[in-house]
Amino acid sequence: MGSFELVTPASEEEAIAWLARAPGGEAAVLAGGTDLLNDIEEHRITPRHLLSLRRLPWNRWNWIGPALEVGSTTPLVDLEYDPKVRAQFPGLVTAIEAVGSVALRSRATLGGNLGRSGSASDLIPLLLALDASAEIVGPKGVRTTPVDTLVVASRRPALGAGELIRSVRLPEPRPSAYLWQRIRPAQDVSHVGVAVAWSPADGRWRIAVGGVPPRAIRIHPEAAELPPRPSSPEREAAARRAAELLPLSTDLRATGEYRRHVVHALVLRAVGSVTAMREGSA
Amino acid sequence: MSGARRADAPLKLRGAAAYGTDLAAEGMLWGALVPSPIAHGRIRSIDLAPARALPGVVAIGADDLAGLRPKGAPPSETPIFPSEEVVYRAQPVAAVAAPTRALAREAARRVRIDLEPLEVWGSIDDLLPEWPEDGAPRTGPLNAHVHARHGDLEGAFGSADLVFAETYRTSGVHQVPLEPHACLAWVDGDRWTVETSTQTPFGCREDVASTLGIPESQLVVNGSWVGGAFGAKGSALLEPYALLLAKASGRPVKLQLSYPEEFQLGRSTLPSVIRIESAVRGRTVVGRRVRLVLDTGASLPGRDFTLGYSAGFLLGPYSIPAVEVEGYALRTHKPPFGPHRAPFVPQCTFAIESHTDHLARRLGLDPVEFRRASVWTEGSTTGLGQTVGPFGLDAALARASAIARAWREHLPPGHGIGIAGGFWSTGTGAGGEARLRLTPTELWIEQGEREIGSGSVIRGIAVGVEATLGLPPGTVRVAFLDTAHAPFDSGVFGSRTVGALGQAAEKAAEALRAELGRRCGRPEAESAKLTLRPGPDGLEVDLGDRRRPVRELLTAAELADGGLKVEGRHYGRSGTIDERRVLEGSFHPFNDFVGAAHVAEVAVDPEIGSVEVVRYAAIHDAGRVVDPVTARAGIEGGVAMGIGTALLEETQWGPDGRLENPSLLDYRLPTLAEVPRLEVEFIEGFPGAGPRGAKGLGEPPIVPVPAAIANAVFDAVGVPVFELPMTSERVARALKRL
Amino acid sequence: MSAVGATLNVNGRPISLAEVPDDERLLDTLRWRLHLRGTKEGCRSGGCGACTVLIDGRPTLSCLTLTRELEGRGVTTIEGAPDLPAGRVVISAFETEGAVQCGYCTPGFVMALTGLLGRTPPDRRSPERLLRELQGNLCRCTGYAAIARAVERAHREAP
Repeated sequence: MGSFELVTPASEEEAIAWLARAPGGEAAVLAGGTDLLNDIEEHRITPRHLLSLRRLPWNRWNWIGPALEVGSTTPLVDLEYDPKVRAQFPGLVTAIEAVGSVALRSRATLGGNLGRSGSASDLIPLLLALDASAEIVGPKGVRTTPVDTLVVASRRPALGAGELIRSVRLPEPRPSAYLWQRIRPAQDVSHVGVAVAWSPADGRWRIAVGGVPPRAIRIHPEAAELPPRPSSPEREAAARRAAELLPLSTDLRATGEYRRHVVHALVLRAVGSVTAMREGSA
Repeated sequence: MSGARRADAPLKLRGAAAYGTDLAAEGMLWGALVPSPIAHGRIRSIDLAPARALPGVVAIGADDLAGLRPKGAPPSETPIFPSEEVVYRAQPVAAVAAPTRALAREAARRVRIDLEPLEVWGSIDDLLPEWPEDGAPRTGPLNAHVHARHGDLEGAFGSADLVFAETYRTSGVHQVPLEPHACLAWVDGDRWTVETSTQTPFGCREDVASTLGIPESQLVVNGSWVGGAFGAKGSALLEPYALLLAKASGRPVKLQLSYPEEFQLGRSTLPSVIRIESAVRGRTVVGRRVRLVLDTGASLPGRDFTLGYSAGFLLGPYSIPAVEVEGYALRTHKPPFGPHRAPFVPQCTFAIESHTDHLARRLGLDPVEFRRASVWTEGSTTGLGQTVGPFGLDAALARASAIARAWREHLPPGHGIGIAGGFWSTGTGAGGEARLRLTPTELWIEQGEREIGSGSVIRGIAVGVEATLGLPPGTVRVAFLDTAHAPFDSGVFGSRTVGALGQAAEKAAEALRAELGRRCGRPEAESAKLTLRPGPDGLEVDLGDRRRPVRELLTAAELADGGLKVEGRHYGRSGTIDERRVLEGSFHPFNDFVGAAHVAEVAVDPEIGSVEVVRYAAIHDAGRVVDPVTARAGIEGGVAMGIGTALLEETQWGPDGRLENPSLLDYRLPTLAEVPRLEVEFIEGFPGAGPRGAKGLGEPPIVPVPAAIANAVFDAVGVPVFELPMTSERVARALKRL
Repeated sequence: MSAVGATLNVNGRPISLAEVPDDERLLDTLRWRLHLRGTKEGCRSGGCGACTVLIDGRPTLSCLTLTRELEGRGVTTIEGAPDLPAGRVVISAFETEGAVQCGYCTPGFVMALTGLLGRTPPDRRSPERLLRELQGNLCRCTGYAAIARAVERAHREAP
């Protein structure tokens, strides 16, 4: 009893079947609950049922060749404490450490973060820069979709009826960096987050920017290669493009104008930092 | 460092200290307040029926008050529930109680509130977007207006080489004690009792008694452990509602604010604009005019203590021959203004000490030497005509200057160093009483305050007693009694606890010493040498030539009654101001003059504007340090809070009077990451009115922090920032990066 | 769906979950059902760390954890901290360094630090990392100076 009923299926099939039948708007999916439970506490949403993923075996990760496949209910703290994850995906660990506190990250999950898709998510920009994809299970079976198409807007992932995010796949380790700007350095919502990665597979750069509604955006630099020189026109063009594509948005934390200014600066810095990583490993 | 470990630490480390939030009683109901959904409106109707329809729910509103308050009680000056008009958002319009917390919240949501919206006076920026050229602010309705003036102002400004004018803005800051307001109340016949997390049990009793019309003799306030206060828990807030709900339901009622409620309903500091004009001749400020517009929300008109008090700080701490200060307490539809650690003085100091630095730069002078040329010392006269007592700010500034010079030798690029002075006046004018109870084995201080965290009660008031009686640190125990059993004390505020209550306890110790001397047959003059010491079978009186067990000196009646009881009282004197200088409103004299000089080193990202405090030194005029551990701890905490005011903390009020950031996610307290290495030094030799010349240290450490950091930012990037908090966006704008 | 008879373990004691409502948070179960009020209620939204407890040894916010989600798990609160070797070290370090003022944040800090010390082997531990990992615990009294000294002491003395 209580304001909602907790539904705790023991298998994936059971979970999908229950969710597919659940009346729209009355059910919410519970992963770690660190965001969802706050919305319920403040009566922003009043679901009658919470589908708990606790008993599903989705709280672990596997290495598949160079790729990392992370079960959607894996607590973030497990990833940040893993030496191999730290070594292979430094940008991801930086982004994880930007989410709340250690005690919050012991509940918070990667799948939950994607499912809630907060526009200020510190993880989504990095996932975009890593070309991450999500494995979705539902009544029609399993499908794989890029994070870029899964994330639509806050609290609105592109999921069909009865669909759940089972895992997130990071295709290859990449030199990557995540830089954020906040009013308070620790424990704050980033008003801008910039993720930059360089793919050894195709030799191209990825840039993604978070902190703007409706969702983080990915920017493809026009130049394939951003030269090692810090003040190259290619880098400047990439930073300007990121700043210009950013939807102007003012909220309590920052004006759109300031966000634009910060994005420009952080893209240059993040590219510099990834360049240094490439040189360091070369 | 010497000093005893705190007696409350083991209890708190076991999780065994019961705070207001932990209070519970058999059969209690949970209360909830019903908030006004808008900031200003005429009440058409408030329908409690939907709430009362829920099982076990009790609901009370304005119409029920007459039946709940004692018959013939005079009307309350502070409205309990408004009957005609709401004047701030979240103002309680009714209250409910229910068997569970969730049901109480649900019942509160069900109350139907029908209001006719009225115009909202929301933002100080709307009322005062920029300072007008003619000098006088255009303001809306006022809660208070103060004005004082001295000297030949026209002459000073008329003959000045330079008139230097600046406008500063500050944001609202909230105390955010980690423990929200919480209390538990019950009513038994005509005896009303409330246990509560308060920093003023007797002040709370007075507030509740006058609000509810209950004689103080029928009302008992019993304090719980207090999870931080910082001014937020200095007057009654929830207690009248909890008592009324208890009366209406016949059950004990627990009332506790959620954090969003704490932010919206709590009495916090509100925004201000401060305009300073200085007339300079040569290297000297010969005239100063200061105007302060302070948002005081829905405070009761004419009852504003903050304005006149703050205005006095704007005239210091420098001697200037001609001065004028004018303060406007603006009425808006926000909650009433409330005191926050050194109420509004960090903001005043930010303006004055930034301005002072800017003036020094403009004149090409060393900022510290410029200050020291006119800083108050003992015997100076304040702008309001009060004679300054022993005051160590000049010495603290000299020390700060030496520290800054040493730091500057290794200053990395992008870093800057700033110094600011500041002062506070200990509230020892408010009096207090304490009782000592000597048993054969223990010495207790029986008193009515609660430990709010600083250690001023659990440790501070015991130090003088131990010293007087020659007892080792940590041997005197502090008892916490309710208002029915404790001697009166004014409260833990104004950094007065050690100075006033501690002095009362010390006087009781002197009286105890004399009494023990008498009982040992020693003449009055010799009893001063007598000491108490722990012996093998309890406490002993050491007479120098021999010892006597305390057990032998107590009468049978005393042994049966818990021991020998001796009371001490301390009612301090305030200084006086020259009332001829006051043209309107009321100003307040200072008591002790407590100085502090701070040095901040910051690293500024010149592109993004973010400021990191990397190193900090705080030099404090302590009069005399009575307990080094407690003193240092207070400074460390105050500086961290000041860093919040300087860089992070801001209540963001919408034009509709709504607080837009009522959560810890959007209202940012400093974390471990934002507080740097801190050096603390004390200046002694400028005694205050406290025991052994101690000065209060609870509030002074926050006072200079925003100014010191602002001056360091200026030093790092070469541009001033005129607004608190100095967020990265504000700094980037000052740098014209946008 | 409710798992009747399922239990969780609190400070070494098995607790039946049968009558706990589905929406109850661990914080409220501990404080109001089990009378373990050493775990403090602060912001109830994951912003202050005052309610930190250990779940299977890991620091966790009890305000954002549904009790029913913990079937079969072990919870340690401040009342159980003295039973852990790291807990004893942390408690003693906080007392020695004067890191307790109002004390409201204290149980959360003690549990977080106890969990971090228990979790990280000494060779991968540093005071700097511990302090970084404690940033989610807010304190309004101490300015963190004495707490930082206590963390350094606990780091030195922890098993």
